[in-house]
Amino acid sequence: MTRALEVGRAALAATEGEAEVVAHAETSGLARFASSEVHQPTLIDNVVVTLRVVRDGRTGVASTNRVDEDGLAELAQRASEAAKSAPADPDFPGLAEPAALPRVKGYDAPTAELGPEDQARGAAEAIAASDVPVYGFFTSGLSELAVVSSTGLEADQQMTDAMTLVVAADNGCSGYAEATSWRAGAIDPAAVAREASEKAAQTNGAKEIEPSTYAAVLEPYAFADLLQYFSYDSFGALGLLEERSYFAGRLGERVFDERISIADDSLDPRGLPKAFDFEGSPKRRVELVVDGVARGVVWDRTTAKRAGNGASTTGHAPPQGLADEGPLPSALSVAAGDAESTQELVERVGDGLYITRLHYLGVVQPREGVITGMTRDGTFRIRDGKIAEPLVNLRFTVSVPELLQEVHGLTREVSLVNASNFYGERYPYGALVPALATARFNITGVGSAPGI
Amino acid sequence: MALGAGAEYADARAVVRRSQFVTTKNGRVEQLADAESEGIGVRVLVDGAWGFACDRRLSTEGAREAALRACAFAKAAGGRGRRALAPVEAHSGSYRTSVDRDPFAISLAEKVELCLRADEALAGPDVIVRQAMVRAQRDHKVLLSSEGTDVEHELVECGGGIDCAASGDGVYQLRSYPSAHVGTSEQGGWEVVERLGLEREAPRVAEQASALLRADVCPAKLTTLVLDSDQAGLQVHESVGHPTELDRVYGTEASYAGTSFLKPDDLGSLRYGSEHMNVTADPTTPGGLGTFAFDDEGVPAKRQPIVEAGLLTGFLTSRETAARIGAGAGGSMRADSWNRMPLVRMTNLHLEPGEGRFEDLLADVDDGVYMETNKSWSIDDKRLNFQFGTQIAWEIKRGKLGRMLRDATYTGITPEFWGKLDAVAGPDAWRLNGLTNCGKGQPGQSAHVSHGAAPARFRDVQIGVKA
Repeated sequence: MTRALEVGRAALAATEGEAEVVAHAETSGLARFASSEVHQPTLIDNVVVTLRVVRDGRTGVASTNRVDEDGLAELAQRASEAAKSAPADPDFPGLAEPAALPRVKGYDAPTAELGPEDQARGAAEAIAASDVPVYGFFTSGLSELAVVSSTGLEADQQMTDAMTLVVAADNGCSGYAEATSWRAGAIDPAAVAREASEKAAQTNGAKEIEPSTYAAVLEPYAFADLLQYFSYDSFGALGLLEERSYFAGRLGERVFDERISIADDSLDPRGLPKAFDFEGSPKRRVELVVDGVARGVVWDRTTAKRAGNGASTTGHAPPQGLADEGPLPSALSVAAGDAESTQELVERVGDGLYITRLHYLGVVQPREGVITGMTRDGTFRIRDGKIAEPLVNLRFTVSVPELLQEVHGLTREVSLVNASNFYGERYPYGALVPALATARFNITGVGSAPGI
Repeated sequence: MALGAGAEYADARAVVRRSQFVTTKNGRVEQLADAESEGIGVRVLVDGAWGFACDRRLSTEGAREAALRACAFAKAAGGRGRRALAPVEAHSGSYRTSVDRDPFAISLAEKVELCLRADEALAGPDVIVRQAMVRAQRDHKVLLSSEGTDVEHELVECGGGIDCAASGDGVYQLRSYPSAHVGTSEQGGWEVVERLGLEREAPRVAEQASALLRADVCPAKLTTLVLDSDQAGLQVHESVGHPTELDRVYGTEASYAGTSFLKPDDLGSLRYGSEHMNVTADPTTPGGLGTFAFDDEGVPAKRQPIVEAGLLTGFLTSRETAARIGAGAGGSMRADSWNRMPLVRMTNLHLEPGEGRFEDLLADVDDGVYMETNKSWSIDDKRLNFQFGTQIAWEIKRGKLGRMLRDATYTGITPEFWGKLDAVAGPDAWRLNGLTNCGKGQPGQSAHVSHGAAPARFRDVQIGVKA
């Protein structure tokens, strides 16, 4: 039995009546480095129990990390008090019933057993592999999620993840690479550092360009970041119901190039697999866009009931602390294309930009999918079908739908790009995406040269 | 324990946090949560290498195990053996937020009722989403160090806000009060929320959201820009606060939030903006979310100029970065919880007021735009090229506000933009705004930071997005 399930059962036992417990445990280490030296090594060990109590259709939530008898008894009292304070919600769907859960991968015992020496070694391997000073981290962790409910539902899962992230940078140059897997053995920190370092070496002497609309190749890091931000408003049921989604009024319509198919698929072993969501409902693969046609969004039981249109949960209930954001994708997956490599995409573009990654994105207009941000750590001009001179960091302001409506191609290979940033309790998630070539990438300003 | 395991320096921070959060949406309770979290974080320096570990048990055993694990991580990670800390006198003391009404003595039912009243008052034509939220947090924190620091804080903060969305004819618009992104917060008791007057302001907010649907799109041009205190505060946060964090200047945040266009030797010589620009870091500001008696390294709180009459005169520092630059003693180190390492953070960073009223700023504008309440924000990794958007704007014609405009954005390069500052309104127009979503660090941390600012005027600014 996992630690999370044990704590979840104890919390439920300490609570009378209708209730649901989510127990989330984390054991992790992150060796962060800068200027090729570890400077912020952090070890975390915690378990957080969130109790949702239901009293006559009124719900209240409390959480704690005191999981002894007294702590759980007080938790039950606080959650009950909260429930008494709320009016009944006619749209409350009730607590989830037990359901068969999909079998997923996502746990690797050797990764779970990694300790501080191993995490420090991962950082050291990255540091040693680069001639250019490196900034980044190696991290690994074990996360456990258990949902236990008075309906008889019991779901628990152990998830492992490991990641190396490297910015290789010096005066006037910088490059980026990352690698994530639920198996630490699949990650080579030295290879990540070499990729970042080699990219950095190509960025010296960056030039400015005139703001305009360019064709562009987006590496998976850049494409995943853009898609993740677009998904916050457009791929979740709440955004659809509240009309801030680009898909509002457009489901069933052709919205993107026919080569674009996007799903949310937590079951895919190439990603960071999950079997259930934060109310214990089974995860389902959800087709969001098929051959350029908007097909759906992700749902939880609350939004499905609120919609009242026959929708049902797809296994995307958020943690209670993020309930106001509604269900959101956590495993975006873009169908691969037919290009053998990013080089082939560069050839298809002919004249344009090559963009490694993006920085500090902001949603300007959610309904139109307009997003702004900067390029970073490897921006180049494409000329005559080849990567040409390096460019300074560029400000872009793009409509994601426009960007995806005229596509030159996508690579056959997809990469897992991490999206978690490790705020709060560790819950690894990311997107599986290919590199993309688009005819429309709108540059609206120029920034500084790459480098420290 | 840490010293016995080889550390030359160690500090331990025990934190007990209680927080409550209530959100209502369209007349329903969306979130009703009562959270607590506690634990101890131990930071050590072993042969010049940092290590940090934590334990959720507030016990001798938990502290001991965290210390040993922190030392083990520091030894495994290694270092170059040359980390100096700026000397700080070991202090003992305590600090407690002044509270009129304990927010945890206010029932959750009362909090729900307040939100539902404000939520209902947001109802209006075209309004499809009404949302109200209130929050309260109390941190009880004790910091001990191997140098003899022994300080205790009880920090209480409260806040709230309202948002509404209007939709029609394919146009979608948001309006918030007093600020977007979970309203605003201050250190203090429930009186902070009561002062906001959420229910009172709701009809105006709803009316503006609806009116925005029919407003003209803000044009793209070079013009005079007046920012409200909310957006001026965010401008300070992003383009002055972050770049003057000395850890970013030294590159230690390069892998996530980014670096800075500033260099250590810019101190005292770099022209940051016009003579109207005066920015102060002040961890003693009453009500500030970054207010304390001692930071998370035990350094006493001290008001410090960052930019004086447009000249860079200060950095936000830790003991380590202060020692590297040979100036100051730190004082800006904060961690967002017991299970994170302290980082260099803004405390309360203010744009100091100038003179006159908001109307006086407008009076000297023949043609321009006034922008209010942040909506979107983005800035590059060196904090130079930025683009911000606001929820609402009005054109300024011959010294008066004219027609309403929607989808307003402006862009610029940090020192050039601040160089165009030609007036800041006076103390009567100066407002303190507290935000709770400042991200930094790996693993990620969210800091709570306050900014005081009055409306400010900038000449020849690029507004809108050039086609």
